[in-house]
Amino acid sequence: MGFAQSGSGEQLFALAERIESSAVGTAIAESRYLYAIIEGVHLIGLTVAVGLLFVIDLRLIGAFLRTVPVSDLLRQLRPWVFAGFGLIVLTGGLLFWSSATEELSSPPFAIKMGLVALGALNALYFELVSANSPAVRGNHAVLPWKIRFAGAASLAIWTLVIVAGRLIPYLPRW
Amino acid sequence: MTKPEFLRWLQETPVARSISKSNHLVGAGLQVAHIFGFLMLLTAVLFVSLRLLGLVLPEQPVSLVWREARKFVWAGFGLAVVSGILMFLTTPQRYLGNAAFLLKMALLVVAVLLQSLLFRRVAEDDSAALLPARAGAMLTLAVWLAIAGAGRFIGFL
Repeated sequence: MGFAQSGSGEQLFALAERIESSAVGTAIAESRYLYAIIEGVHLIGLTVAVGLLFVIDLRLIGAFLRTVPVSDLLRQLRPWVFAGFGLIVLTGGLLFWSSATEELSSPPFAIKMGLVALGALNALYFELVSANSPAVRGNHAVLPWKIRFAGAASLAIWTLVIVAGRLIPYLPRW
Repeated sequence: MTKPEFLRWLQETPVARSISKSNHLVGAGLQVAHIFGFLMLLTAVLFVSLRLLGLVLPEQPVSLVWREARKFVWAGFGLAVVSGILMFLTTPQRYLGNAAFLLKMALLVVAVLLQSLLFRRVAEDDSAALLPARAGAMLTLAVWLAIAGAGRFIGFL
C-alpha cells in the first residue's frame, strides 16, 4: 500500500489540497512569473545561508582560511546565515503553498525535509556545545576531530539537501 | 553552413547525442552540477564582497581572503560552464529562442569582464581606494546574482 493510500496519507493529502487551492496558493501557481521569481529568491537565500555555512564548515575541517580565528568567522557570519535561512524558509513555504500535493507525492521532497531536520539538529548541537568548546574559543588553527567531524557532517548533509531539492522535478512520484 | 544547420550539427555531435539518448537522470545530474558550480562561485564572490564591505574579517587583509576564495570562484565557474554547455548542446535551438537564456548569456559576458578586470584587481590590491572598490564589488556580485535569477526563468518562458 502506497503512502498516498494509507489513512494518515489521505488526511495529509486532503490538507495539501486545501493549502494548494487557497487564494495565495492559486495566485502563485497561476501567475506566469511569480513561481519563477520566488524560486530565484530561494536560490539567492540558498547562496547566503548554505554557501556561507559551507565557508564555516570548510574552516572547521581545516580546508579554508586556516589562519583566521574560527570564533570571528562564526560571530560575523551567523547573522547572514540566519537571515539567509529566513529567506529560504519564507520562499520555500510559498513554493510549497502553491504545489503542496505535488511536493508531498515527491520522494526527494520528503528526503530533503528529513535532511533539513538533520542539518538543523547538527547546527543546534554545534551552537550549544561545540561553539563553546575551548578549541573553538581559543581559535586553534587545527581543531579537534569532533569539531572537524561536525563540519564535514554539515557539508555532507546540506550538499544532499541541495541534490534532493534539485531532483524533485526529475524523479518519479511515490 | 547556415545557423540552423550549425545548430543541428551541434545537436548531432556524439557528445550531444549521447546525453540526449541517455537516461533523463543524466540531465538531472547536469542540473545538480550546474547549481553546485554556481553556489561555489556566488558564495566565494559574496564572501569576498562582505570582506570588502568590512562586515566579515575586517582585521584580515582583503588580498588574503581573496587568495583563499579565488580557487572556488574559478572551480565553480568551470563546473557551471561545462555542465551548462553540455545541457545547451542537447537542444541548442530551444535555448537560443529563449529570452531568459539570451539575457543570461549577455549578463555572463558582463560578469566575466567585471570579475576579471575589476573585482579581481580590487581584491588583490590592499591599497585600492575603498569606495570605488566596494561599489565595483557590489556591482559584480549583483550581475552574478542576476545571472542566477535569469537562469531560473529559462524553464518558465
